Amino acid sequence: MPHAAPKASAPPQELHPALVLMERETRVHTGSVPRALGGFAVEPGQHFLHGDEFLLHTAAGIGFLYRRGAGIAVETPTGTDPRDVALWLAGSVHAAVAALNGFYPLHASAIAHEGRVHAFTGAAGAGKSTLVAALGQRGFVQFADDTLLLDLSGPNSDGSGPPLCLPGHKRLKLWPEALALAGVEGRGEVADDYPKQFVDPPIEIGTGACTEPLPLGELIFLEAGDAPCIEMLAGGERIARLQDDHYTAQLWLAAARPDRAARFAGLAQLAGRIAMRRFVRPFDPTRFGEGVAAMAAHIQKGTST
Amino acid sequence: MTAAVAKNPARFVETVIDDEVVVMQLDSGDFFSLSGSARAIWEAIDGTRDEAAICAALAGQFCDADRAGLATDVAGFVARLHAADLLAA
Repeated sequence: MPHAAPKASAPPQELHPALVLMERETRVHTGSVPRALGGFAVEPGQHFLHGDEFLLHTAAGIGFLYRRGAGIAVETPTGTDPRDVALWLAGSVHAAVAALNGFYPLHASAIAHEGRVHAFTGAAGAGKSTLVAALGQRGFVQFADDTLLLDLSGPNSDGSGPPLCLPGHKRLKLWPEALALAGVEGRGEVADDYPKQFVDPPIEIGTGACTEPLPLGELIFLEAGDAPCIEMLAGGERIARLQDDHYTAQLWLAAARPDRAARFAGLAQLAGRIAMRRFVRPFDPTRFGEGVAAMAAHIQKGTST
Repeated sequence: MTAAVAKNPARFVETVIDDEVVVMQLDSGDFFSLSGSARAIWEAIDGTRDEAAICAALAGQFCDADRAGLATDVAGFVARLHAADLLAA
């Protein structure tokens, strides 16, 4: 009986070096976590970044210590809810690890479309995750939630061109009222004292584009207003808008420690590489679909360059 | 001739993005976005020209109507730059 010819298997795809680095650096182990770093005591509810290390103690008593090259040590008191640990690992700790390894953590949620990332940023409550969830219902691939890591060195060797975005956490976190708005189902509370609900992406993780770094097509600032519009940002406003006071930006500043002039030069260079727009839409639940439809049409038009 | 108007480069950094010059005052962190006539005046400040010479250098760039108010615009803009500590004393 003839043997069936072995199926040709595709060679394993090599992970992008940035992903290899983040995978290596975010390895978690249990261990003792000190109360101080660099001579500074870190009280419950505080974090501190010093040199190549990041120390965080949550108000609930969970301790995290990241040291470059050594991964993340976690120390938990008895009875700790593992969801709490996961939440911190995916949030502040993840952003700190990224910042200490030269990535720029942008406070944004994002989708991918035709090989480019469309990122949405705005203050807490601006609707980043809700919009991404709603776009996911329309078939767009979710790329990251809340924190989008940028590799500023690429894609060209001279650092020109749009920065590369690293695919991030895709389990969105939505307030209960946002679930209905986006037309998605909650998959359980994020934590007992944080009643947002997890939402799984409608498109399976592991399918093509959302697992590989992709260039940032555009950064869209979410704003509330009566008349929906999507407008290009230009000039100094592009630099000013990148001045973010979110904790992710603060962690990057603490890691990179640029002086004002260097910070300005960095923001100006980044602004010059990114297409930026403002997306104004009514913050009225009855008109939510109108805004989603406008954004979906905008992305499909491919106006990211 | 009155005193030349000179920038104080130790107090700011600047860049060009799109059609604007963006200046950041290093002490305050304040941004100044300069376009149109403000950009033209800023770029005409070279440390050798006084206000009258700046007006003369810019006169050719503006129509008659704008030229009439140029001296006032330059004086006002230079005063604002002084207030922001972007010019040498």
